[in-house]
Amino acid sequence: MDSIKKLFRSRHPYAVAESEALFVKAMKENVAWHYQRCPDYKRILDQAGFAPESIETSADLAKIPPLPTLYFKHHYLASLPDSKMILKATSSGTSGHNQSRIGYDFYTLMRGWAMVRRTFRYHHIWRLRPTHFVIFGYEPHKGNDKGIAKTAWGFTFSAPALSKDYAIRWKDGSYQVDLANIEKKLIHYAKGRHPIRSLGFPAYTYFLLQQMKEHGIKVSLPKGSLLTLGGGWKEFYAQAVSKQVFYDLAYEVLGLKDTSIVEFFGAVEHPILWTDCRAHHFHVPAYARVILRDPDTLMPVPDGQMGLINLLTPMSRACPLCSVMTDDLGILHDEPCACGLSSPYLEIVGRVGIEDIKTCAAGAEDLLKEPKK
Amino acid sequence: MILAHGKIIEESRQGEIIAALKDEIPLILAQEGLNPELVIAACDRLSLRAQAGEFDAVAKPLLEMAHLPYEAYLSYARMFSGEGLRKKMSLELAGYPLGLEEVTPHLFRKRVALGVLLHIAAGNVDVLPAYSVIEGLLAGNINLLKLPTGDKGLSVKLLSELIAEEPRLADYIYVFDVPSAEIETMKALARYANAIVVWGGDAAVKGVRELAEPNTKIIEWGHKLSFAYATSQATDEQLKRLAEDICRTNQVMCSSCQGIYLDTESDEETNLFAERFFEILRQKNLEMGKASLGMRAKAALNVDNEKLEGKSLVLSSDGVSVIVYPDEALTLSFLFRNVWIRKLPEQRIIPILRPYRGYLQSCALCCEEGKAQDLSNSLIKAGICRICDGGMSSFTEGESHDGTYPLKDYSRIVDCLK
Repeated sequence: MDSIKKLFRSRHPYAVAESEALFVKAMKENVAWHYQRCPDYKRILDQAGFAPESIETSADLAKIPPLPTLYFKHHYLASLPDSKMILKATSSGTSGHNQSRIGYDFYTLMRGWAMVRRTFRYHHIWRLRPTHFVIFGYEPHKGNDKGIAKTAWGFTFSAPALSKDYAIRWKDGSYQVDLANIEKKLIHYAKGRHPIRSLGFPAYTYFLLQQMKEHGIKVSLPKGSLLTLGGGWKEFYAQAVSKQVFYDLAYEVLGLKDTSIVEFFGAVEHPILWTDCRAHHFHVPAYARVILRDPDTLMPVPDGQMGLINLLTPMSRACPLCSVMTDDLGILHDEPCACGLSSPYLEIVGRVGIEDIKTCAAGAEDLLKEPKK
Repeated sequence: MILAHGKIIEESRQGEIIAALKDEIPLILAQEGLNPELVIAACDRLSLRAQAGEFDAVAKPLLEMAHLPYEAYLSYARMFSGEGLRKKMSLELAGYPLGLEEVTPHLFRKRVALGVLLHIAAGNVDVLPAYSVIEGLLAGNINLLKLPTGDKGLSVKLLSELIAEEPRLADYIYVFDVPSAEIETMKALARYANAIVVWGGDAAVKGVRELAEPNTKIIEWGHKLSFAYATSQATDEQLKRLAEDICRTNQVMCSSCQGIYLDTESDEETNLFAERFFEILRQKNLEMGKASLGMRAKAALNVDNEKLEGKSLVLSSDGVSVIVYPDEALTLSFLFRNVWIRKLPEQRIIPILRPYRGYLQSCALCCEEGKAQDLSNSLIKAGICRICDGGMSSFTEGESHDGTYPLKDYSRIVDCLK
């Protein structure tokens, strides 16, 4: 497992070109590891006629059969026994049968920690100043396995926390959204001198900002404050809110410039911390690669062309997350960026399908799931 | 946006308007009543304007969102034509007394409106909510329409245009935008109604049952599924017509084909048929132009996943697929030109499909002439409401709603003395 360890300890989190050979080797080790330990993964690779030892060059990475996230929703794939999993996370879908369950073992989490440390350092996210944390997400609770809740909680350690407030609170045995409380707290903290850090789904953050605007609230968050977003823009596709509209609103209501807004993305099926640069581009980190695939053929498309986003990483020792196909369409840009990084960047265009329209045929599907007499 | 007294009104006044209906409805009911000819003439003029493209600016983006072709819009517009509506009336109310009909020298009979209909429309982007109101008008009712969540303004637009064509309809059309969660307001509307017409799934119907008083009739138009039934003797022409309909509607309508049941017990025969239909679908898809990238991507993930599951035969390319399953279940397809195929020998049609009876709509029959009659009978006995050919989504005027004629449901027969 040496190559994987080395990869996650690379000095520079965006040294993609420099780490290419190491990445390929790490992938080979990781695919072989899961092939030997996870019978379902072995079956899939065998069915596709793919042998882990055939991975030799970067071009071979595209040949590793990608598993759609959908597959994880129906199958629990693991290469380690339950006793080794120190953390289990589910994806943030709302309905029970539509969630992926992914386990994490100690080594995987250590790799993740090394990645977070370096990535945060690169983006100047570690701070020593005492900070108020405002989470537009779930309050931690022992019954909540959602990956996003765990990430949010972890994030409250990125600076010494003066306070932690959550928009979705655990009250009387269930989760309840309480935006009014968050609004009150933000106004209160804005008057103080300690910076504020928020983390949350873009959608919740946007709704809160809109609500504050409707209430005529305009504050100026203390210097060093940071608005961080994670969990994707899926809820926005129907609303067609562009990022620029979001940034403008944040400036109007909170007095925050877009350079104080950082966005993350990752998924329980791809636990890599993608972080946008100051030009708001998601550069490919050294720990992962992305392949855009043609929906009709599932073959890679050239840079600059839209396709299904296939994410690759050798991070997990616990589950075969080597090559995962997401539900998103995107474009990979291999062009110079104002931030100075040379690694290509991924533009997430949107979720596949037509989510906004409830078709009458699709409406019938739910009915058919009910037991028949 | 809401509509009352023939005017488009700010939503903020909704509460007072709903409250005032308590006194207004009896006054409207006391009037002479609505002549269906007024409704038909107004609809006809509106239909002509729609067919001439006057509402394209509103309609086109909605069609695009719903991934429906312009042709579908034109066929919707024709549903409102005078000729179509007259035919609908005579067909649906056939056997019903036209005027005062003598039963015995002392007893007479006539058809009258139920009174007030509350229409709870489904969350589809189409003309259905407005069409439901027009059906209510044809039967002579006062219509209260609760807009679906996320309504894009088409219903208010169409109905206000209709009132502009015939101002005498103003008293009979109200459109409200009440969230379903506002139970008290919904109950207030329900209390005014003789019948609640509900479009939507089981959840919607259940919700309506909870808010209706026991003396309120509930008329349900639920979500339905459609499929095709074929024999290996089906001609290429029959299957091409089916493939064309699948490509044209992207399988998103109640009447779109989700899959094909094949009259056989043989896996080999099923696989051969699947290969044959796949080739026809693939060709049709290329001929007609592929579905949008988003649709293809969505389906691709599902199809790819199905391949990984390894339990079915998956044929796919160019953004279309045919998947052979070993079971007999009726399921939704992956939509967007992706069809399932399952074995279902003729003698098993009734036992297998009957459990789905409330959810069955159309079945396209693709078989040799000699078998059509028997297969039709079995399918109808299993609960199918409509047997058609491969062009499943082209409706003709006067077709029933999932097996019943709405105008009958929106009317009552009264006995009276002369």
